[in-house]
Amino acid sequence: MAAESDQQAQQWRPPRMIESATTRKLVLGGLALYGLLAFFTVEIDPTRIAEGLTRAAEFFGGWLRPDFVTRWTDIRAGLLESVAMTAVATVVALALSIPLGLGAARNLVPGPIYTASRAVLAVSRAFHEIIVAILFVAMFGFGPFAGVVTLIVGSVGFLGKLLAEAVEEVDPAPLEALTASGATWGSRVVFGVLPQVMPRMWGLALYRLDINFRESAVIGLVGAGGIGATLTTAFSRYEFESVSAILILIIGMVFVAEVISGRLRQRLL
Amino acid sequence: MGSDPQDRPGVRHELGVSVSGPEHSLSIQSLHVRYGRGEPVLSGASIALAPKEIVGLIGASGAGKSTLLRAVQRLVEPESGEILLDGVDLTKLARTELRDARRRLGMIFQEHALIERLSVMENVLTGTLGRTGFWQSARRRFAPEDVTEAFGLLDRVGLTGLEDSRCDELSGGQKQRVGIARALIQHPDVLLVDEPTASLDPATSVRIMTLITEICLERGLAALINLHDVPLARRFCPRIVGLKEGEVVFDGPASALDDEILRRVYGDDAVGAPAGHQGSPAGTEGSGGTDGENILGR
Ligand SMILES: Nc1ncnc2c1ncn2[C@@H]1O[C@H](COP(=O)(O)OP(=O)(O)OP(=O)(O)O)[C@@H](O)[C@H]1O
Ligand SMILES: [Mg+2]
Repeated sequence: MAAESDQQAQQWRPPRMIESATTRKLVLGGLALYGLLAFFTVEIDPTRIAEGLTRAAEFFGGWLRPDFVTRWTDIRAGLLESVAMTAVATVVALALSIPLGLGAARNLVPGPIYTASRAVLAVSRAFHEIIVAILFVAMFGFGPFAGVVTLIVGSVGFLGKLLAEAVEEVDPAPLEALTASGATWGSRVVFGVLPQVMPRMWGLALYRLDINFRESAVIGLVGAGGIGATLTTAFSRYEFESVSAILILIIGMVFVAEVISGRLRQRLL
Repeated sequence: MGSDPQDRPGVRHELGVSVSGPEHSLSIQSLHVRYGRGEPVLSGASIALAPKEIVGLIGASGAGKSTLLRAVQRLVEPESGEILLDGVDLTKLARTELRDARRRLGMIFQEHALIERLSVMENVLTGTLGRTGFWQSARRRFAPEDVTEAFGLLDRVGLTGLEDSRCDELSGGQKQRVGIARALIQHPDVLLVDEPTASLDPATSVRIMTLITEICLERGLAALINLHDVPLARRFCPRIVGLKEGEVVFDGPASALDDEILRRVYGDDAVGAPAGHQGSPAGTEGSGGTDGENILGR
């Protein structure tokens, strides 16, 4: 094509998202105006900011003097509960997400199964973990069971969707070769699909393990057990020294998880 | 690429498949194929393979050669036409029978189509999936006689000792050999071969073609072989079929291929004028030729 446009110098720019200059300015101007108006609807109360600052000072004071001892039994129980919740939820979610992920891959299943699996995945990803946790706490009462179910729902959505995407991207040639040699659907999945997606899947599961541990601290805030529950208790008692200790432990745990999953990843991939 | 496996007569007899077994034929009759609602890719192509016959299918890129082989396996469903394997029309078969028919049509692919992350042995054994139960294969418990046969085939194709290598560690020629072993362990009655030399250098191409045609002779297999490379087709296939825009425009002995016919198959650029893009690597034939630019290579 370059050969056709003899000597004439040509200009080229990437296509714009909005072609018309006027429309573009209107859209940008509108967005700016909205931002400004939105800012002024937020009430700003100087006295409350001042109070907040005092409490912040107290809080950061506590932060500098972490207290692991006073509430150690509670903290330990919370941590162990979180670890257990994380492990159980990730394993169960992995087991559930493999069939769902395969079912949600367009290149592997007929239309109705695809649609049904996508729907299940979409529902499980529709709400933020906190909302799901509130729901399950209302259903099953306070405690880690509601937490585990929450984490499973979130993880299935996450792992299932990403697995389905990985499956849809597999090299189709070996699958076709398997079909051509008379292999059944199951054998095609085991030999043609899984070897191509499993390394990715292990990576995602390890990543999700990480996320689930942090999530378990968050959903504890709404009563779904784990270290989050311990954290809320400490907060509501204004025991900032314990709060600080818990936060430090969470950071430590996430760090340890990171190191372990890094090691495992090297092994598995 | 290791030593040529020809000089190892011992292995051949162990491979068991009887040379003088029943004779199998494949007949493709007025096949019409299109992808989705697109233009027809094949419009009434017919090719009949007699028992033990080796036929080369040539044609320009996009002529529909791969599509033809894929349609025979019903990897793409033909719109109309018949595919008769020993007289049974494959287009009419239901799922289970179709699986068995596919097992009887061994296929070797353009880009080998191996599962890169699995070992050579696992890839070869996937050729037995048509007869191995799901749980046995999933746990890699293949029948001992299949494993023995796989070792024998690896010897035959010149990959002795490579059974545990991962396929992504192999060279292009080695991968193609794995593909050949995988097709053979199916115990096929007919071979469908899609440009087995597409990404190989000229010398390796010749070795692979030698291997494929030798195996066809040993086992009495009929084969339909797609080839880009006209000299290679002439050299290895006694009969040539030329496909152009989904129709058979030539069907005859390799010796009948001349410039006129090549023009018919490939268009006017194919002969005489510099036709570098037709891409038959020079020297494949080893003979050079009188008019060097001719893709016929003679
Ligand atoms: N999966 C597909 N979906 C849609 N169109 C396809 C598909 N595969 C092939 N085609 C079209 O069918 C036509 C024939 O393709 P085919 O691969 O059969 O040609 P070929 O003769 O094998 O070419 P080559 O020598 O390059 O391999 C081409 O026009 C191609 O665009
Ligand atoms: Mg092709």
